[in-house]
Amino acid sequence: MPPSPISDLPTSSAAAASNDVDNNLQPFFVLHKALPRKSERKSSGFGTAKRKIDLPPSSLKSIEKSDVSSTEEASDWIYEQLRLEAFNRTWSKIDSTIKDVLRQINLNLFDEVQSWVLESFSKIKSIRPHKISEIQRPYPLVTDIICRKIPTALILTKNVEFVDDLLTFQELGGHLKSSGCHVAYLTSLDFSVKHGISGCLRSLLRQLVSEAPDMADISILASWYCEPENCDNPVLVIIDDSERCCGAVLADFITMLSEWVIKIPIIFIMGVATTFDAPRRLLPSDAQQHLHPCKFTLGSPCEKMNALIESVLVKSCSGFSIGHKVAAFLRNYFLRHDGTFTSFVRALKLACVKHFEMEPLSFLGLDILDEDSEIFQQGQCDSLPDSLRNHAFNLPSCQREKILKGTGGSLVHGLTELRRLQKCWSSVVMCLFEVGKRKNMQLLDIFCEAIDPTLYNLRALDHNLQLSSLIGRNLIEGKSSSAKGGFIAQAIQQVRELPAASLSHLLNIWGVHTGEMNEIQDRVRELQSIISSGGGGLIFKEKCTDIHKRSRSLSAGKGTLSVNDKAAMLLDGMVRKFLMPIECVPFHEIVCFKHVDVLQSALIGDPRRTIQVDLLKSPTYLQCCCCSRGGNALSSSMHDTSIMYSLAQEYGDVINLHDWYQSFKATVLSASTKTKCKLQHSPASKKVKATPSESEATIQARFCRAVTELQIAGLLRMPSKRRPDFVQRVAFGL
Amino acid sequence: MGTEGATPERRTTRSSSSLSKPSLDAPKPPLSTRPSLPNDLLFSDEPLSIDTLLSNFPGRGAQVLEILRLIGPPNSPMLPLLLHGGVSTGKTSVILQILHHINRPFVYTSCCSCHSPRILFESVLNQLFLHRKNPSNGYLSARRCERASDFINLLRDALSQVTGSPRGKKSKLDGNGEMIYLIFDNVELIRSWNKSSDILALLFRLFDILNIPEVGLIYISNAAPDAYYSMAGSVEPVGVYFPDYTVDDLFNIFMLRSPANRKLYSSFLSVVLKPFFRVTRRIDELATAFDPLFQKYCEPLADLNLVPDESMKRRLFVRLQPHLSASLNETFRVPSECSFEANKEGTCSKKGNIRKLSGRETSNELDFHMSVSAKYLLISAFLASRNPATLDAALFDSTGGSNNRKQKKKSSQAIMDQKDEMAEEMLLKGPGSFPLERLLAIFQCITSVGEGTLEEEQLEDGMVIESGNVGLMSDVLLQLSTLCNANFICKSGSCPLEGSTRYRSTVDEDMALKVARSINFPLSKYMYRR
Repeated sequence: MPPSPISDLPTSSAAAASNDVDNNLQPFFVLHKALPRKSERKSSGFGTAKRKIDLPPSSLKSIEKSDVSSTEEASDWIYEQLRLEAFNRTWSKIDSTIKDVLRQINLNLFDEVQSWVLESFSKIKSIRPHKISEIQRPYPLVTDIICRKIPTALILTKNVEFVDDLLTFQELGGHLKSSGCHVAYLTSLDFSVKHGISGCLRSLLRQLVSEAPDMADISILASWYCEPENCDNPVLVIIDDSERCCGAVLADFITMLSEWVIKIPIIFIMGVATTFDAPRRLLPSDAQQHLHPCKFTLGSPCEKMNALIESVLVKSCSGFSIGHKVAAFLRNYFLRHDGTFTSFVRALKLACVKHFEMEPLSFLGLDILDEDSEIFQQGQCDSLPDSLRNHAFNLPSCQREKILKGTGGSLVHGLTELRRLQKCWSSVVMCLFEVGKRKNMQLLDIFCEAIDPTLYNLRALDHNLQLSSLIGRNLIEGKSSSAKGGFIAQAIQQVRELPAASLSHLLNIWGVHTGEMNEIQDRVRELQSIISSGGGGLIFKEKCTDIHKRSRSLSAGKGTLSVNDKAAMLLDGMVRKFLMPIECVPFHEIVCFKHVDVLQSALIGDPRRTIQVDLLKSPTYLQCCCCSRGGNALSSSMHDTSIMYSLAQEYGDVINLHDWYQSFKATVLSASTKTKCKLQHSPASKKVKATPSESEATIQARFCRAVTELQIAGLLRMPSKRRPDFVQRVAFGL
Repeated sequence: MGTEGATPERRTTRSSSSLSKPSLDAPKPPLSTRPSLPNDLLFSDEPLSIDTLLSNFPGRGAQVLEILRLIGPPNSPMLPLLLHGGVSTGKTSVILQILHHINRPFVYTSCCSCHSPRILFESVLNQLFLHRKNPSNGYLSARRCERASDFINLLRDALSQVTGSPRGKKSKLDGNGEMIYLIFDNVELIRSWNKSSDILALLFRLFDILNIPEVGLIYISNAAPDAYYSMAGSVEPVGVYFPDYTVDDLFNIFMLRSPANRKLYSSFLSVVLKPFFRVTRRIDELATAFDPLFQKYCEPLADLNLVPDESMKRRLFVRLQPHLSASLNETFRVPSECSFEANKEGTCSKKGNIRKLSGRETSNELDFHMSVSAKYLLISAFLASRNPATLDAALFDSTGGSNNRKQKKKSSQAIMDQKDEMAEEMLLKGPGSFPLERLLAIFQCITSVGEGTLEEEQLEDGMVIESGNVGLMSDVLLQLSTLCNANFICKSGSCPLEGSTRYRSTVDEDMALKVARSINFPLSKYMYRR
């Protein structure tokens, strides 16, 4: 890799970075007990000293360079702004796309729920007394038992993690509210043991009755509902995370509402994260009796993920995409660690941030997919300063392709080519996914395979081999050796096994996806015409029975290919020819984020390690003169907790409190005597040292506080009853 | 009725010294200008005749007549009544209908809706004061009343106002004084309130405390009277027991609420009532179970009005039988035949067919999303709860516990018996609890086993595992909280800083097996069986 990305940061951002570092250090200013009087003097020279240390040497060079040419600095600043703007626009585009996609997925469900709500409401209405005075009566109306059930929509969210669906329930509420229903949201926090039933009632009343007194009395709700403007609509209670609720309180709530359900048409909408029998595990059977459940299913996370990948990464709506390693990392993160849509989007955003932060030319990617902006781009490329242009042609992908003429024109040309290839690639991926859908494949898997450059190279190699040895049969039989067992190979195999009806359907969809690739379009049309004419009719007659066998015998016997095989060969050809991962295209670095390690460290972090490092190496961060000279030696001016933790390093997994205290005391006192000696030389600071020697009690207090702080930081465990003299270390090593 | 107009003045003059009620009353003109007092405390429509009353409650004739006898004529005082009996035996509806029949004013409060003393008190008072909550009074009660002593005072005032007898003066029931009844429903719930004994004592001694003969007290409770008689010296309420219904009663009750075709329904009931009667006698439970069953029963019939003959009954019964046994075991039914789900189910079954064609998927797969590390954690929690801690070392050593089993086979009969007992005891105790450390240790062990298979898979895909084991560990505590939230693991103990919290897995074996299957983990190998 040529210059490291950090070194390319313009100087102004370097200054900004050092500002950031200042901010990051704030807690240490608070923690650190610097010597009195000296701190002021220190703080004046602080910024410069630190900047020199914090910045890598290469950026120092760039500072020097920028001193030479201030014009370059100005243009750097401009390009930084451009990148910032590009990031904002790109991310807002992606963000709105994601939101649209999710809304689209949920919309059907919302309508279903709405019509169910209306139906249940009309059922209640039909048996409800029409006189309002009847409703307000405190005694139960003598009616059929079955009507005392609360209609309950159980909405299965299909994901153990709940964060993804918080917004969904808000939107569902909004959707139902717009159709006139009264909507109240309750969460598991309202159903806590501590507040009991009054907690949830109060929250319900607060949301529905605007001028309610602070009393958890359900009769208030009844009176409110009797107001003429309220009584024509159902009351929806949305509990988004019903499984987290305290079962007993929820049961009380349900039992109470069931007494009122005819008078106040309450309808529950409960989110259920696991299986639909979760209420059975949560509620006693008495409360279950009062529910009249109906099951709805939200789109599963995989469905959502497919939609997201399709709209954001495959049909790339923005000038940002990810490399194979990043994709694999994200996939791994989603499937194995977190499993929430939200965190996936967050990771994607982080990748986007890092990309625009690290790649100096990334702003060019913004308009890359917009064909009209070519002229504008041309202008942009021509006006690039030399350093940036050189950077573009020094990109590894360029070096590989040996594009050496470093003009703006060739850059624009490269970008246009990139766009074209990317479009072909995405159509092929979509075609593959159309096949894979029938076999329950996930787009994320296909995407990861399609974006893999090594597989692409393998395929290319394979193809050459095959051409040379002319082993066509291998291909026909579906034994293509490339990527055995991979998703793409499976998809191609799948095409051979499709019954004719779905094959013609598939071809129609392919026709749509390959709209801009003329040659493929023609071949698809050709296949379609075969199906609609004789060959297809024959297959139709066979009623899809064992197509695979038949086609194989045909191809083996007569040497003619069935439609299925032709389609499979077409797909295979498309994969070979057009499925060119973005990482194989020159200039892809401009739009493609590949630094998986950067993303990983930004995403996962390691808070406990950070705490340990900070505690052990606080002098190197603080750069205070009192601690810096001795290297790792302890001094009393360090923070107590830091001293304690450094001392704890000398022990095994248990620490004797007495020994620890003694060494702590020794450190504090010895150093303080030393400083005292030193201070006596400087007469000015004599006055300030108000407490000459610290009493035993003070030291003990400091010791206790430091131990507690370490405990809170999760680095050790307090003494147990069995061994009152020992604390246990919890964290070892870094 | 004629005396009612005069009562407010009389009352205010009498009580102005004790409470500042006149000032409270003043801004509320509707309160003082009500036309006829007790009408609001009556059923609004025509009173029921005794015949309809009795025919409404098959199997409750004896209780109805008994209560009518105890309540007596309009001008006679009565002792407090306690109606008790199981859930859904008609206590509340019987008393409400009786009051409808005799058409006398009453006040009804349910301790289920009124979940605290204050709300209970205020609910009684609001009804007596004929107070309606509405936006103009800010949905406030007529009087604020938190303490029992206030309640007694206010109740006296209100009652004297309603019954028309001046407060404190012993009125003789001379035919003008009207009885008013206070009904307290679900009294047994009070026992779970704070200071329940005080409230219960207050309620059951109301008769003595108030000492107003025009007030009849009626308590309704699921619990037997013994539950309340801790206080001596007060007048014990007269108990009226509502026994569970018999089969014939139930038959009659369900025939009352039968749909159009009575003959068909009675043949249906003759089929289903007997088996269900053995499980439950509660009308509400039975009604919930019967409705979908009756729909199934009617399904093959084109004309719902036809009268079934013997052969048809038999055919219908044969059709119903499988549903019957399934429904007997079901307590909570989530209907899948809902119309909105229908099209979805269609697509699902189509998918199912395709799956069968490809021959890969099993029917009992996990139907919700969970990350792989959460699955491992769930399995390790299940193992930690199920296996005794002493076996961990043996199960998770390098040999994977295979030679362990051989040792066990050799053991003598006595030891085997002992182990039987132990296993039984474990079954009775339910899942065991475990500290976090043990969970993490098992997690580490099984992920290192599982990782191997996963790695192979991934290599086949040409994927690179980014962070392997360490990566799986990274947010384990986060996953743990997720599992806790999903009720798969429950927490006990306190102090989160100490880390001494103990956990317990609540998933059953089926679920654990499903999860294990989804990640190809050999769970049965690690499960301790006797």
